Amino acid sequence: MSARKKTWVRCAFSEMNLTATPTPSETMPAKRTRSASNVSSFRVSRSRTPSINSMPTPIPDAELVDLTAMDDDQDADITGPPPEVKENWMESFEPATSDDLAVHPKKVGELRDWLRHCEAMRKKFPAQMCLLTGPTGAGKTATLRVLAKEFGYQLQEWINPVDCEVINALGDQNSGTSYVGSHLEAFKSFLLRASRYKSLLDSQNKRLLLVEDFPNVLLSDKEANFEELLNEYTAYGKSPLVFIVADAKSRGLNISYRLFPDQLKAKHRIEHISFNAIASTIMQKSIKTFCSVMQQPQNKATYKVPSTAVVDSIVVGAQGDIRNALINLHLSSLKGVPSMPTKQLNVSVAAKGRKKKMQSTLKSIGRDESITLMHALGRVLNPKFNEDKTMLHSPEEITEAFNTEPRNFVNFIHANYLPHFKEIDDVVVAINDLGLSDCMLNEYRDDTLSVMGLNVAIRGVMTANRWPVSGWMPVRGPKRIDIKPQATLAEQRLVGVGYAGISRTLYATEYCSLVKSIAGKLVETNSSQSTDSNQVF
Amino acid sequence: MALWVDKYRPRELSKLDYHKDQAENLRNLCKQSDFPHLMFYGPSGAGKKTRIMCLLREMYGSGVERLRSETMTFTTPSNRKVEVMTVSSNYHLEVNPSDAGMYDRTVVIDLIKQVAQTHQIEISGQREFKVIVISEGDELTKDAQHALRRTMEKYVATCRIIISVNSTSRIIPAIRSRCLGIRVAAPNETEIVSILQNTCKREGLALPVELAKRVVDKSERNLRRALLMLEAAKVAKAPFTANQEIPDLDWQVFLRETASQIISEQTPAKLEKIRERLYELLIQGVPPNLIFRGLVEQLVSNCDMSIKAKTLEFATEYEHRMQSGAKHIFHLEAFVAQFMNIYKKFLSELVMTDDF
Repeated sequence: MSARKKTWVRCAFSEMNLTATPTPSETMPAKRTRSASNVSSFRVSRSRTPSINSMPTPIPDAELVDLTAMDDDQDADITGPPPEVKENWMESFEPATSDDLAVHPKKVGELRDWLRHCEAMRKKFPAQMCLLTGPTGAGKTATLRVLAKEFGYQLQEWINPVDCEVINALGDQNSGTSYVGSHLEAFKSFLLRASRYKSLLDSQNKRLLLVEDFPNVLLSDKEANFEELLNEYTAYGKSPLVFIVADAKSRGLNISYRLFPDQLKAKHRIEHISFNAIASTIMQKSIKTFCSVMQQPQNKATYKVPSTAVVDSIVVGAQGDIRNALINLHLSSLKGVPSMPTKQLNVSVAAKGRKKKMQSTLKSIGRDESITLMHALGRVLNPKFNEDKTMLHSPEEITEAFNTEPRNFVNFIHANYLPHFKEIDDVVVAINDLGLSDCMLNEYRDDTLSVMGLNVAIRGVMTANRWPVSGWMPVRGPKRIDIKPQATLAEQRLVGVGYAGISRTLYATEYCSLVKSIAGKLVETNSSQSTDSNQVF
Repeated sequence: MALWVDKYRPRELSKLDYHKDQAENLRNLCKQSDFPHLMFYGPSGAGKKTRIMCLLREMYGSGVERLRSETMTFTTPSNRKVEVMTVSSNYHLEVNPSDAGMYDRTVVIDLIKQVAQTHQIEISGQREFKVIVISEGDELTKDAQHALRRTMEKYVATCRIIISVNSTSRIIPAIRSRCLGIRVAAPNETEIVSILQNTCKREGLALPVELAKRVVDKSERNLRRALLMLEAAKVAKAPFTANQEIPDLDWQVFLRETASQIISEQTPAKLEKIRERLYELLIQGVPPNLIFRGLVEQLVSNCDMSIKAKTLEFATEYEHRMQSGAKHIFHLEAFVAQFMNIYKKFLSELVMTDDF
């Protein structure tokens, strides 16, 4: 409620307020405390000083609406006093215009196209939907915020409410029973109301709904029908709706996979834009701009610019996650903190083809290097060796990465190892180990055996190949063996009622080919008979 | 229109063509009021199922021949639906739990329990129990066999179980000791020849003895296969001649070609092609142990004396591993690779000795 008051006051004196410099301690009120019923967002932005000179007298309430407005490092070079970097770097460095975004312009363009499409369809089909996916820290939300501002949308975000008991005491009813409202109902009412009615405090007519925080019921409960919800929304919703989903590694956790099957996407014409991890060149550039801000005189007291080695390793360690990079940069640029230890990566990469440069990553922090299945397969099938004949990637390292799904990985190795071998006697060693590992994996009573089995398979294939074949080979998935009943109806009729009692394997080995030839002949004679009779009549 | 195999299948114990003493014993068994669980064992195509049906008819009368087939759906504990086809009459139920693969335990528990728990409605003049016929019992997993053991004990008052197996070695001792074992040996050559000739006589065809003998040879004393081959041969060429062609089983031909390909070239690339062929056989539904056996037979008969022993040695090793493993293809492939290696070495040594 304090937020609301503040807004009103500010609204009234906004002209005066504009001239005042914002106090650094001022935080964003009511940013994340929205209850489900209170659907309108009370996002109050801090007032912006820098642009005041360049702007004509602003409309008083423009202040309120400007929800994505942030202090921005770019503005520092243009006008006014340079910004002071706040405690929360996420806010301080939030991009304000689409040029500031570290996302690839193509992706920004895709989203912009969709928003344009929404504009065009606004009268006829206002309830357009869009799904943004991508790894964490790829700039999905930031891009949406920036573009929403650009198009003049009021962004209304759903945030899972904390359970609160509703006391059911109406008028003369004496009971004070309480219950906890259904999240699903709350979510539904958010979708429908927030898209239709604007807040009294907002001036913009256009609203954009954002769901980044999916209600847990949708994920855990099969009864909660997401599809029905969307049906209702397409029928009654009045503004575009954006879902943001971060990629998850496993399928079970992947919301975009579970909640948005292809046919659902097709049915509701959900535009799917998938973001990629931020490229290291773009990341480097934006980190450089962050560093330049830190060199401003008023920031120099708290921050120092870390060495280039550290900056480089931050970029490498973040693996395309700009949020992670920013946090690490923040930590490493604080004064009085010892410079962070870095660890040499053993991959040497040719930097722009000129010179070889050793990459390093942060030792203690940074994301764990996650290794994909394809990557690991490559390491197993084309093992690399150091000068002293030791392996670059030890089999144990790879085993560790896949010990949750050993069977799958061994199957993949089996499906792909053969083309890499030149000599049959090497193959014998490799397949021998694969067979052994199969027997070990089949022993379900001991957990450790499965890891050992995986290790045997990986190690066997890595060491067996003395004369590897080089060249590009496509990766193939393991084959599934589904035995399907192959008898046609005519054949089944021939075998009679006993067909049901014959097992598939028995049918395949004993009956199949012979019955086929007998049945084939029968069909011929039948058809010739019928043509004969036709001629008679 | 039915296949000869079914059309001329003996329906009564007294009309069986061979193992007549055994038929007499079975008839005596039925005369008594009680009746133990039975296990018929013997090679494929020896007449186990025929004897089981004759026995049932002896007990229940011609009512058992009114068969109906049903597809039943079961839900496993992991919520997966499994479909199994059954053939049943009022008195018995025939089921093949191995069709459910690794979920055969659910089938054994649910279906057999369900049948075993219900009593016969009309007791007068009938037996008090129903019969469940389990075909290919040796394909049952250990889990399913243990579940079966429990049902056998628990519902002994209302049901009897007849298991038909190829070999008792894969049946757990607990079940073996609960059943009366009845061995059905494959008919000998003269018996099959006379059956084939009887069949042809009833069809109004003349069968040359030479052709009958060739069919017997090719069918490996498997009566079902012999009759099917004969019928297929008849379809191909109506009046029989002594040296007409007898159709082969597709998968055997395919396997033979595979073996000759292995001998023709020994490289990883070839091995990959062989793997594709093996996959094809597996997808067709040919059981891996038959593939393994056929492959070994073909390879051993086509290779030099000096490497035969070694081939067999490896074959035993990999066959054993295949039984304990889950991915049959790994072990089949391992055997093929091993053979290729031996054969290649043998060939290169041959070239060396030729040079000197």
